[in-house]
Amino acid sequence: MSVGFGGLRLGGCVWTASGTCGYADELGEFMDMDRLGGFITKSITLEPRKGNATPRIVETDSGMLNAIGLANIGVERFIEEKVPLLAKMKAAVFVNVAGREIDDYVAVIDLLAGVEGIAGFELNVSCPNVKRGGITFGTDVGLLREITAAAKAAAAGKMLMVKLTPSVTNVSEMAAAAVEAGADALSLINTFTAMVVDIETRRPVLANRTGGLSGPAIKPIAVYMVNRVYNEVAKERGIPILGMGGIRNASDAVEFLLAGATAVAVGTASFVRPASAVRIMDGIERYCERMGVGAVAELTGALL
Amino acid sequence: MYMDEMDVGQRKGDFSAVVASNRRIGDTFWKLRLEFGGEAADAFRTFRPGQFVQIDAAGAPLPPLEQIPETLQDTAERQVMLRRPFSFTDLDVQKRKTVGEILYCVVGPATLRMTMLRPGDGIAVIGPLGNGFRVPEGKRTALLVVGGMGTAPLQHLARHLAYDHKEIDATVFAGARTTRALPFERRQDEISQGLGFALPEFSRYGMESFIATDNGTAGFHGFVTDCVGKWLDENHPKPENTIVYTCGPEVMLAAMAKLAAERRIDCQVSMERRMACGIGVCQSCAVECRVPGSNETMYRMCCKDGPVFDSREVVFGEHN
Ligand SMILES: Cc1cc2nc3c(=O)[nH]c(=O)nc-3n(C[C@H](O)[C@H](O)[C@H](O)COP(=O)(O)OP(=O)(O)OC[C@H]3O[C@@H](n4cnc5c(N)ncnc54)[C@H](O)[C@@H]3O)c2cc1C
Ligand SMILES: Cc1cc2nc3c(=O)[nH]c(=O)nc-3n(C[C@H](O)[C@H](O)[C@H](O)COP(=O)(O)O)c2cc1C
Ligand code: FES
Repeated sequence: MSVGFGGLRLGGCVWTASGTCGYADELGEFMDMDRLGGFITKSITLEPRKGNATPRIVETDSGMLNAIGLANIGVERFIEEKVPLLAKMKAAVFVNVAGREIDDYVAVIDLLAGVEGIAGFELNVSCPNVKRGGITFGTDVGLLREITAAAKAAAAGKMLMVKLTPSVTNVSEMAAAAVEAGADALSLINTFTAMVVDIETRRPVLANRTGGLSGPAIKPIAVYMVNRVYNEVAKERGIPILGMGGIRNASDAVEFLLAGATAVAVGTASFVRPASAVRIMDGIERYCERMGVGAVAELTGALL
Repeated sequence: MYMDEMDVGQRKGDFSAVVASNRRIGDTFWKLRLEFGGEAADAFRTFRPGQFVQIDAAGAPLPPLEQIPETLQDTAERQVMLRRPFSFTDLDVQKRKTVGEILYCVVGPATLRMTMLRPGDGIAVIGPLGNGFRVPEGKRTALLVVGGMGTAPLQHLARHLAYDHKEIDATVFAGARTTRALPFERRQDEISQGLGFALPEFSRYGMESFIATDNGTAGFHGFVTDCVGKWLDENHPKPENTIVYTCGPEVMLAAMAKLAAERRIDCQVSMERRMACGIGVCQSCAVECRVPGSNETMYRMCCKDGPVFDSREVVFGEHN
């Protein structure tokens, strides 16, 4: 079931989310990766990053916290070692980009803008900006505008998707800022900052103290935010939304589509069932048949 | 390298296993036997000692409240979403099926649920995962050094050494805080007879066992690594023909790695980390390792690059 996503035509409406699907070869042992609509890499930074000490994760009720610390091999090795594999995929490959300051993001995008086999970029704006006292890019309207515009200029025509953080009071305000500054698509949501305490040691469980909450626990909030951004920003401007947050099965995915998403991404669920994404795709097809829906696009924003 | 030391060509998958048996063998220790048929039987036929599986226990019910130890009652209420990693203590390859045996300790919501599995129940299992123990050529003496639940993969290794490496003499050293914390089936009968023991889990392969308890309630009074040191002093095997295999708490692995380095003996450690995926996609399970030829360190993934590492690679800590 093919779907349009901005200017792209995708083989399916289910993607894998950033940081949850490795560099594609690992999940390939469990499912046919060519059936995915899109594939998003782990956040790539200018310099290699070792990441945080362990424990990096802890399970919570219906979810988990992670503080991986943007561990990645850096953009240069990424281009050398991983892009040749990714370029062979049928799915649209998006490189998730992260950094400490705007110049870092721009430098990464510059290096990748001319590389074949990459459909576009997903901007991870849930990182602290070191130049501005650690304020998170995605929580400050001015900063978000600035970084989006700079990334758009560097992307040289490749698709730019901005990944919104849910840790804001008005997500639509951020969505509007990103779109006005040139974002071609929006993805939401990233994880919620959270903490789990070990009462025996009186310390946070994670070495990083805090981590990002993902999984089914965040799904209802994610559906609400997608719906709000769709109604208040994306619909009238024709901007596609990639919806995510706790999607475990086809019913979850359809909720996001009805709320306004054009496609959905699966993250944490792949840890439990590595073939989750294709299983969800099959389920969406069955739902469409049952409902007499001819194309997935008919579901987008079809909430009554 | 022997053919059987290579994990190449092994296909991992998300399979369904059938519970053959599940029984309690001590205070908090249980043994679960899982049968794999069809495609899974083939995939697991080459499951190597030290490899592991990811078990989905989310669907199993909790035991009735009165059967849950008081110390676990709060944690029992936590929902289980992620799978849990377990190694095998034994592998039985039959014509049409492969049977894997898991020895588990009840410590939280997933292992509590696992106690409710009944023969005939289906359960989702991802595997075989990770890299197992390797047997370098030329080894004649193997020391299997166990810390508590670390016995699981070493029991499977004992079988492998007994059947496929008859040239190697293996001796077992098992340590725990107290006698009760030793996860063996019939330890009580054997425990009070001096230093050499016949732990049935290992004596069935003709291996002698030594026990060490921190509080001296059985066997050697002290750390298991001191017991190993004493044995090395008395038996002085040729270092280059000797290898240590160890699994247990990280402090013990660190002490064993240090001792092995001092005696110039090869040592393979099986590491434990909290895992989300178990297949190398989430980077949860980082193990700090030395970069060869430099003072730098890098993180390698316990699930994909391990869980068995050469002890010289690992920078040990208190991580989990
Ligand atoms: C490769 C590998 C092989 C393993 N093999 C076995 C085995 O053969 N038998 C066995 O009983 N257990 C084994 N374990 C440990 C087992 O996975 C955990 O005991 C189990 O996940 C506990 O789940 P739970 O929900 O019952 O308890 P949880 O509530 O998840 O954990 C209980 C306590 O154990 C700690 N813990 C949980 N997981 C880990 C971990 N991976 N590393 C360090 N501390 C942890 C938690 O901090 C908590 O305090 C293995 C772990 C790994 C990584
Ligand atoms: C282990 C882990 C690592 C992640 N790494 C990244 C990352 O590098 N960059 C990013 O933008 N989002 C990252 N995410 C967030 C996910 O892409 C996704 O937005 C979030 O987990 C919500 O979806 P889910 O509930 O389906 O997992 C990560 C999530 C997890 C669980
Ligand atoms: S547990 Fe996910 S990478 Fe090791």
